[in-house]
Amino acid sequence: MAPKPITSPVPDSWYPTLSVFTLAIGLVLTASFFIYEATSSRKTRSLVQELATGAVASVFLGFGSLFLLIACGVYV
Amino acid sequence: MKRDMMRSNLFPLLFAFAFLFSPVFSASDLILAKVDRRIDLTSQIVRIATSLKVENTGSDVVSEILLSFPENHAKHLAYLKAIVSEGKGKAKTSSGVGLPVKAVQPNDVPPALTIYSVSLPKGLGKEHSLTLDVLAVFTHILQPFPEKINQGDVQLLLFQESAHYLSPYAVKAQSLTLKLPDARIESYSKLENAKLQGSELKYGPYENIPPFSYLPIVIHYENNLPFAVAKELVREIEISHWGNVQITEHYDIIHAGAQSKGEFSRLDYQTRPYLRGASAFRRLVAKLPPRAHSVYYRDEIGNISTSSLWGDSKKTELEIEPRYPMFGGWKTTFTIGYGLPLQDFLFGLDGKRFLNISFGAPIYELVIDTLFVKVVLPEGSKDISVSAPFPVKEWQETKISHLDIVGRPVVVLEKNNVVPEHNEHFQVYYKFNSLSMLREPFMLISGFFFLFIACIVYSHADISISKSSASYLAKLQWDEVQATTQLIHGIISRCLTAHDKLEASLHDLSRTGDVQACKATRKSVDSSLKELSKELKQPLTFLQSCPQAAQILPKVEELVTKERELQEKLVVKHTTVVDGYEKKSSGREIENRIASYQQKITALRREVDDLMDFIDEI
Repeated sequence: MAPKPITSPVPDSWYPTLSVFTLAIGLVLTASFFIYEATSSRKTRSLVQELATGAVASVFLGFGSLFLLIACGVYV
Repeated sequence: MKRDMMRSNLFPLLFAFAFLFSPVFSASDLILAKVDRRIDLTSQIVRIATSLKVENTGSDVVSEILLSFPENHAKHLAYLKAIVSEGKGKAKTSSGVGLPVKAVQPNDVPPALTIYSVSLPKGLGKEHSLTLDVLAVFTHILQPFPEKINQGDVQLLLFQESAHYLSPYAVKAQSLTLKLPDARIESYSKLENAKLQGSELKYGPYENIPPFSYLPIVIHYENNLPFAVAKELVREIEISHWGNVQITEHYDIIHAGAQSKGEFSRLDYQTRPYLRGASAFRRLVAKLPPRAHSVYYRDEIGNISTSSLWGDSKKTELEIEPRYPMFGGWKTTFTIGYGLPLQDFLFGLDGKRFLNISFGAPIYELVIDTLFVKVVLPEGSKDISVSAPFPVKEWQETKISHLDIVGRPVVVLEKNNVVPEHNEHFQVYYKFNSLSMLREPFMLISGFFFLFIACIVYSHADISISKSSASYLAKLQWDEVQATTQLIHGIISRCLTAHDKLEASLHDLSRTGDVQACKATRKSVDSSLKELSKELKQPLTFLQSCPQAAQILPKVEELVTKERELQEKLVVKHTTVVDGYEKKSSGREIENRIASYQQKITALRREVDDLMDFIDEI
């Protein structure tokens, strides 16, 4: 069996675009999270919704910042 | 003093060899039928290419051939490679793979000689011959003479060799060619058979020379080529499975030629750099692999702007200029770094991954005294092993870098006296689970998630100190009032949706004339409205009982009454229209009948909407 070159999971040139989009989605979700925090009162707030928004936002922000680091040349 | 030392180096050696002629070493039955030596003296690295035609005159099969070097050469030996080429003339084939070479010390050889033994792939039988090509590379063997020169002087070098091939075997015919740089030759040993043709100096041919024959020659010549020596070079190769192999090289370079003495005049150097700074070098060229990107060249102060880069599909060339011209004995330190595409250097084989990359430095004709190659593998790599084409010292470290928890495993390889011939590929094998790649994003995700959790905890936590103070209680009540108001808002908006449903059913009726469906909708809307008005009762009583709500209560009550009114009017309108349809009244008649209601409904609806907006803002 001949050696197979190992490539990155995503082509290098995609990282900047990917980071812009994932970060945009992440920031929109973060904004909605904080809007919800600020507008709902303590009685009417639902913990599940807060956690769900926070989790989805952090997934997008996490991957977005990773792609941003890679696009900047910090290959982690 | 140094000069004396050099002389005293030369001559004891001669005496040592004089007594060697006594047959202390019982040479085997091998003889060297023909020896051709070519010595390349054009750079600071001395390369001696020797072609030996070995014949076995005895009856035993011989499986190893000895190569000998005098002590003053052996201690500078950096690289030794022996290749067997079989056949004769143009049909010669050579495998290109070096034969195993090891240092040996036979009992009957004086310690002033260093012997290397070359193992032949198959024994050399009686009356057989083979051709052995030996390449020996030496560093720091050229002695600058004089040792100290001024800025304007040229650099003169001294090289000592033997005109006869120093060998434990008898040599039938031999010749020696020295390739010198295109410059002045100060002097050379004028032996009988010496001949100077242009920049080539020839000794020989000599015939029937006994073993261990040593005929010293000395060549004194001009050489102004760069004597760039890296005292220490640390090459760090960092693999990222996200698509990059990052190489960082820390150089500590010295001009190892004749020492500069006296003062340095920048003016003289600038006006006539090739005359008043002939021995200095001002630039170095590095040949980087193709597709190298993000190249930088800096030192402790910062970026050094005097560099240029160009490339094609085969290579990338980087020309760097140190901050000052390098004269003899001057030092400089700098760092170059570049990224390489992952797929060119990292491969997968049988579940293992391996890095295949060149060992030495990319700078042309650079001698490295101590080379450290550090291969930084991604976090989570296991079963690490190294395969290098020559012996190296090897150990492991860990390095903490971006987004690491336990640190990345680092394989460190150390080698002394490295020449460009060592730029061969070596391999680092390791095992890596692709899921480990998700560690870094997972760390970032959990970081952000903790931030959100902190916000949630902060907004849920009750952090007031005095739980019984009036203001705290008032705040609690106000929260409750707010929540109740929101609840009422929600109920009313559901009522309004129900109203919309009624309107829609009327619209459908005018379109389809289906009275039954309209009635069914009416029934369901009626029941849901009843339900909603029941729901409204409890929060409304709470608001009425609460002193905090006094301010907003009139508005809420107004909203509730207006909504009731609107509801009644709508119901009446609905009944009227449905009745009209049942009695088969004309469209115009029905419209006339509901016209007055319609006006009021529109007005009420607007008022209710305004009130809703007002309450929403509380």
